Amino acid sequence: MMDKIKKIGIDIKMAFLLIGISIILMLIFKINFTQLILDNSEIIIKIVYLTAIAMGISTAIHFVIPEDFAEKHLRDSKLTHLFYATLLGVLTPGPVYAIYPIVIVLKKKGIKNPILVAFLTGQTIIGPARAPFEIGFFGLKFYLYRILLALIMGPIAALLFIFLSKFWPDKKRAD
Amino acid sequence: MIKKMLSYYNKKLWRTLFLVFAGVLFAITLGSLMNIEVVNVLKQKIPLPLQLLYAELLGFISPGPRYIIYPLLIKLHEFGINIGVIVALISGHVLIEPSTFFVEAGFFGFRFPVKRFAVSLVVTYIAGAVTVFVGKFL
Repeated sequence: MMDKIKKIGIDIKMAFLLIGISIILMLIFKINFTQLILDNSEIIIKIVYLTAIAMGISTAIHFVIPEDFAEKHLRDSKLTHLFYATLLGVLTPGPVYAIYPIVIVLKKKGIKNPILVAFLTGQTIIGPARAPFEIGFFGLKFYLYRILLALIMGPIAALLFIFLSKFWPDKKRAD
Repeated sequence: MIKKMLSYYNKKLWRTLFLVFAGVLFAITLGSLMNIEVVNVLKQKIPLPLQLLYAELLGFISPGPRYIIYPLLIKLHEFGINIGVIVALISGHVLIEPSTFFVEAGFFGFRFPVKRFAVSLVVTYIAGAVTVFVGKFL
């Protein structure tokens, strides 16, 4: 039993935790569940179909971008590479837990930490799967602005990481 | 190839829908506790630069998948919260969170997520502040 629980992904565990917290909040503040769902039905329906579209986009990109793409194009911490790493992050679909295996492989292949920071920043801030949500709720202009912002934020984050590392370098891990 | 894609899509979709369900339930429950009066008081009492800082910190500590934040953002947007604050919240929510902090510490040592947290704090604030100025064009 404990083994089975241990095997459950952290995202699923988090989901159960959120459901639990929601139930507790509903009990404490006497929120009527049916009324809550009815009041938010429009948003819920929109999110369900936007999720289906988002997964479609993620699937397409997953099959289009070759697995060794990042490794081939991101060797040094040059500004252009930081930008490419951010761009690649922006284009990489999937939840954050799903990209750590990619990040670990990149690290093992010798990709430097600032590049990983740019990749993680780009990947987490925006992504193709967010397009339906952001365009659907806030409009195309907002989504395009967020992409632009992500492409700027990624290299800045990596440059700040390089700056911080001068005073507090990463420890080499023996693994 | 199409069969492979469909199978991958099917597998991912149900898992994601479950995560989204949990997150949306949490978000709409929280959203039901929010009201315009509270938001107005917060807007009047807290200056915008501090709102940006609070938004990103709130984002950092918020758990859950990425899509859960949208119902909350829509409500905040309807209540007239500055778009810069919304960008700070949306960026803060995903850039780093408690669970990924520990995952990264496990893989890369704790210095990596500490530095990434510091860096994320700065870039998210900059993103929010820039958006305050360009927000009217969005």
